[in-house]
Amino acid sequence: MDRRTFVFSATLGTLHLGLSGLPVRQADPARKSLKIDVRAPEMPLSPLGMPGLFPGRVVEVFHPGSLVDRRVAQPAVRAMVDEGMKALTGESVPRDAWGRLFTSTDVVAIKVNPSGAPTTTTSLALVREVVQALNAVGVPNRNIIVYDRNSNQLEVNGYHTLLQPGVRVVGLDQRWSVAGQTRGGYDPDVFCEMDCFGERETRSYLASVVATEATKIINLPCLKEHNASGVTGCLKNLAYGSFNNVARTHVDPKTWTDPVIAVMCSAAPLRSKSVLHIMDGIRAVYHSGPFAWNPEFVWDARTLLFGTDPVAVDRVELEIVEQKRREVGAPSLWDRDPRNLGTSGDMQRSAMKNPFYREPGHIKTASELGLGRWELDQIDRRRVSLG
Amino acid sequence: MNASDTHWVTLLAGNDRRGGTAANHRTAPRELIWKAELPEGMRSSPVLRDGVLYVTCRDGCAYAFDSRTGKERWKYQAAAAIDSTPSLSGNLVLFGCDDGAVYAVDHTSGRLQWRAEGGGEVWTSPAVRQDVVYFGSTDGVFKAVDRSTGQLRWSRQTEARICSTAYVSDRLVYFGCSDGRVYAVESVSGRDVWIHQAGDAVTASPAVLDGLVLVGAEDFFFYALDEATGKVRWKFETGLGIASSAATADDKVFVGGKDGFVYALSRADGRQIWRSRSLRTITAPPVASGSMVCIQTFYGATEAFDANTGNELWRANLGGSLQSSPVITEEAVFLATYPGVVYALR
Repeated sequence: MDRRTFVFSATLGTLHLGLSGLPVRQADPARKSLKIDVRAPEMPLSPLGMPGLFPGRVVEVFHPGSLVDRRVAQPAVRAMVDEGMKALTGESVPRDAWGRLFTSTDVVAIKVNPSGAPTTTTSLALVREVVQALNAVGVPNRNIIVYDRNSNQLEVNGYHTLLQPGVRVVGLDQRWSVAGQTRGGYDPDVFCEMDCFGERETRSYLASVVATEATKIINLPCLKEHNASGVTGCLKNLAYGSFNNVARTHVDPKTWTDPVIAVMCSAAPLRSKSVLHIMDGIRAVYHSGPFAWNPEFVWDARTLLFGTDPVAVDRVELEIVEQKRREVGAPSLWDRDPRNLGTSGDMQRSAMKNPFYREPGHIKTASELGLGRWELDQIDRRRVSLG
Repeated sequence: MNASDTHWVTLLAGNDRRGGTAANHRTAPRELIWKAELPEGMRSSPVLRDGVLYVTCRDGCAYAFDSRTGKERWKYQAAAAIDSTPSLSGNLVLFGCDDGAVYAVDHTSGRLQWRAEGGGEVWTSPAVRQDVVYFGSTDGVFKAVDRSTGQLRWSRQTEARICSTAYVSDRLVYFGCSDGRVYAVESVSGRDVWIHQAGDAVTASPAVLDGLVLVGAEDFFFYALDEATGKVRWKFETGLGIASSAATADDKVFVGGKDGFVYALSRADGRQIWRSRSLRTITAPPVASGSMVCIQTFYGATEAFDANTGNELWRANLGGSLQSSPVITEEAVFLATYPGVVYALR
């Protein structure tokens, strides 16, 4: 086991890897320091791991026909996935594109985002297409695992009932079985330990499916604002959906999502195994995420983002959400005006209000930890328009 | 109303799948009679017969409780989690299991009588008619097995998961599938009689009444299909997908939608009579009497509506459910909840 300590210090104004290590981030001096111990298995950094085969490359595929009469259209999503993967990899055939990242012997965990039922979740159509594409490179359904922290959210969206036969759907809060053996959802040996707000349980454990079962991870987040972390994109979906006990990092109006999200993603199994990120922006959210129960804050973006670099994809997502917020006159995600603080109820009613000072800086922190590219001039944003 | 208030033997009360109840709790339950906290959550509905409440749990156990006291009479440990609503038939309690099998245990002792091997997880409730047990599973196989022995009579392979509990008539078996189809097959052979193709998956369970097969689909539509031909007699569009099985009472059909509404439709022509907003998304089936509709919602409330107007009669903040529906008798309301608590309320 490898053990690393990160110290986010307001006094020093930096995030350090180790007590005297590399300073990687300027901190908000209004906040106190946070020490994070990461215990994870030692493993070599895979060339496919973050930032992956195509650092800085983000393919944005738009299809006007991806929503028809409020329904996500499977054929349009199929075309978007095919074209997105070809544009990402430079291959001319979808199967070859997937073959750059996956082999028939892989056990592939698919991290979906089921919070925000029923409309602002990873769409079934996208998951089905990903499963189909994995089948095409020889990965059988029994070696495909769809997972998230919350079984009830997975189930209310229908992942258990609507995906292809044989695909396992695992809620980490419940036991699950592999080859007749029952396992708990989390690995007791892999964790991040930190005391954010004086909570009793200071450890967050990593999903056993990530730590031991999967050889690769496909991350399918949604294009959504998040009331604490600014956006819930690739990085947050992966970190806060794979580690448990994470809601403790945000107590309004303060949040430690920066740097916790970035540090969690840098833990060896997550970083090494996460090889592809496809962001579902068919319906997108610019306010009151992640649940977005007020449909007023949801718009039909009809877009999927593809990348192997989660930092670059999240940076593009941040730009998209910021632009939408500017269009509707809502404050920036970087807003620090205390007059715009409000309750959760206020947030549900008005795009001007939020319970937290959002911290989208976790994306930059992740970049500084080597997970991908943050600067826009280093991001190769490619647009594909279909239909 | 076919369902007796003391015999609630399978999903949606009876093998007619009407989700009917003769009891009429128009006021909210005020008293907890008993509750049982199980080790894990429940996705399935309880069933009731002769003073015994049977529940299945994700801890892999089927439980029998005295319905008046909550005292545990027996429990049977299966090989994996149980998500299937039990069915009672003669001396047997039948339920599917995530190990891919259907179990038949004795209703008084809880001893295993037989176990029918399958493939994928069995989330459907076994349907029993004339000594045959019918069930679908998540590997896409629909099976008919002997009620006395569990031996296979026939099977029918589909292309997708089957999570829709079957309706069985004298001649035909009706079930939905995640390939978007509603199948009508011969009950003696499994041979196709007709197939209706919907726009997306059908995970709800069909009810059959007055020549109509009534079932909702993930394509946002609720369908009334001709029982003999599968032709669409009418359809009604909701705001999102439908995973909730329907209940019927008098001339109405009641169904919950993922759009958060409970709908009352005219059984004759599908016209909307009323709709009432519940707490966000609904995936569980309602139960209905002539004057009341009751449903458990995903976000932890059990709600009752006037069947004629849709006005809310009462709401109890117990009983969050994905697929479980309440058992309602004159004496009590029984709830099995996703967090794993069984309630008996008066």
